[in-house]
Amino acid sequence: MKRQDLEQVQLERLQSTLNRAYKNVPFYKKQFDLLEIHPGALGSVQEITQLPFTTREDLGNNYPYGLFAVPLRDIVRIGSSAGTTTKPVVVGYTKSDLKVRDTITARFLAAGGVVYMDVVQICLNPGLSNWGRALKGGAENIGASVMPMSHMSTSKQLMAMQDYKTSVLLTTPSYAMHMLEVMGAIGIDADSLSLKAILVVGEPLTQDTRDRLESALNVDVTTGYGPSDVMGPGIAFECHEKNGLHISEDHFLLEIVDPDSGVPRPPGETGEVVLTTLTAKAFPLIRFRTGDLAAIVEGSCPCGRTLTRMSGITGYTGEVLTIRGVKVHPAQIDRILKGISENFSPRFLLHLYKENHQDMVEVWLAIHEAIFWDEVKVLENTMKQLRKQIFQTLGLQVTIKLVEASTLEQYAKPSGGVIDDR
Amino acid sequence: MLRIKNVHTYYGRIKALDNVSLHVHEGEIVSLIGANGAGKTTILNTISGLIRCAQGEVNFEDQKINGLAPEKVVGIGISQVPEGRQIFGPLTVLENLQLGAYLRFKKKEKKRIERDLEWIFQLFPRLKERITQIAGTLSGGEQQMLAIGRALMARPRLLLLDEPSMGLAPLIVKDIMNTISALRDSGVTILMVEQNARASLRISDRGYVLETGRVVVQGSSDELLNDADVKRAYLGKDYKTFWEGRERV
Repeated sequence: MKRQDLEQVQLERLQSTLNRAYKNVPFYKKQFDLLEIHPGALGSVQEITQLPFTTREDLGNNYPYGLFAVPLRDIVRIGSSAGTTTKPVVVGYTKSDLKVRDTITARFLAAGGVVYMDVVQICLNPGLSNWGRALKGGAENIGASVMPMSHMSTSKQLMAMQDYKTSVLLTTPSYAMHMLEVMGAIGIDADSLSLKAILVVGEPLTQDTRDRLESALNVDVTTGYGPSDVMGPGIAFECHEKNGLHISEDHFLLEIVDPDSGVPRPPGETGEVVLTTLTAKAFPLIRFRTGDLAAIVEGSCPCGRTLTRMSGITGYTGEVLTIRGVKVHPAQIDRILKGISENFSPRFLLHLYKENHQDMVEVWLAIHEAIFWDEVKVLENTMKQLRKQIFQTLGLQVTIKLVEASTLEQYAKPSGGVIDDR
Repeated sequence: MLRIKNVHTYYGRIKALDNVSLHVHEGEIVSLIGANGAGKTTILNTISGLIRCAQGEVNFEDQKINGLAPEKVVGIGISQVPEGRQIFGPLTVLENLQLGAYLRFKKKEKKRIERDLEWIFQLFPRLKERITQIAGTLSGGEQQMLAIGRALMARPRLLLLDEPSMGLAPLIVKDIMNTISALRDSGVTILMVEQNARASLRISDRGYVLETGRVVVQGSSDELLNDADVKRAYLGKDYKTFWEGRERV
């Protein structure tokens, strides 16, 4: 598609998205009215910078259906994720939204080499189950044979990979590395696999990880991007050039802004990724702040696609952590810990580290009389309950370590602080 | 081929189009659908120069055409078939068609006009049968054919059709839609306004749904045919409540 044509399509879709959002979503109407912005006044795609941002807090505050732009009866899928407030983030899809998501996801998969003859295996942790469904839909859309996410152990996954002749693996970079280690440990030879490509999502793909996977398994490794809690994984995708991710600009507008001032950053400079949906019917998002850091890649791609490219995610803004691809806010853990007993204000730090290439979370909780029981059994039970609750809320396995308050103090961080050793 | 950007059009002080953008590629059939008063006809009239837009741009083949007089717009290759046919009732079928070629009446065009007449009679054999009949005595379907034929006599590359199925029996509607499809195959690009959203989307490639002067949905015809929003807009029904149809009893 020529750039000029693409820009016309973007403008048309942006205008109708704004018209729908203004008319059907009280939250957006209030925001626009407050700033005296009329959606009909937007003359070009670039003028989107005049509109206010939407944050994860806004999503939480409008729990559950506050941001839906169509009546509930048009919704065919309701997805929810932990979000960053007390309430989960609920995302709705109409039939046509799901179709669009499958199309975009298929684009990402096709650019990574997936064709209808492939056997595609999806290995993601439960916190990324929304993506698991999107990837399944996209791969089925291409016509590949798909093994959806399951709770099999890594060795079972590898057995399936070997026996079912999996040709494409969809997973996170860290889990791919973990699988590689387990292969070595249980003695599976790379030559015994039929893998030709690994497409990774959820976490930034480092050059080192790519090189190691590619050389050890003789595959192509490419990656896709999308915030895991609200959108599909194919918002931007790598082509075989592996030099930046092409943005699906016909369905999303992507801006890079200064995380503090919100001012747009020029191409080449790193900033926060801000996304606007152009075709979403049920859950339009206008200038959604993802918390992910990236930059626009300048110049045209030798692959021939005219879609602008972005860099991979190079970091995250503010307090939201990304652990195994799952967005986590320390306040969520704080709330769960508070539930131990009344009037208990927990002091804790989050220790993040890697084990077998996987992100691990340790909650260092300061010992306090409110959580001190004489009986070890009660204490153990409480810890077990906490781990379970955290898993149920965030989809993450964590370990909880009780430490002396003085131990935490030496890190000089407020409660909920993060020690990132990844 | 046609590219409209940020068009605002007023009737006196009433805003009929509010920041409308749309495009038509060569060889496409594109439908504009929506309830009465949504601004569909206003878009066609703005393109053909019958009304001027207060703001925005209308580009035809990368040439700005807003502000051009209607006859100039016909001259560059855009013809409009107005709502309610507007044929010249007291004149014969042939005279009506000849008037369609009004801008082309020059000596050396004569042969070509003859050829175009033949082409129109091929498209609409019925008109040939009634070549000398007074146009006002034709049936509704025949009048619509005549109106389309007359517009085609200007040899447009883009044809604007306003409610071609209006007031016609279902069987005739099918005929007219088939003819429009055939016209596209012969190289005419079509932008069509229709109340009968289903019939027009069936032969269209894409469509835009208008509500009170704004585009609220656009997409391929397949998408729109299955879109709940379209059904609403086409019926002129608004959202009653979020829980519509799902209220707990």
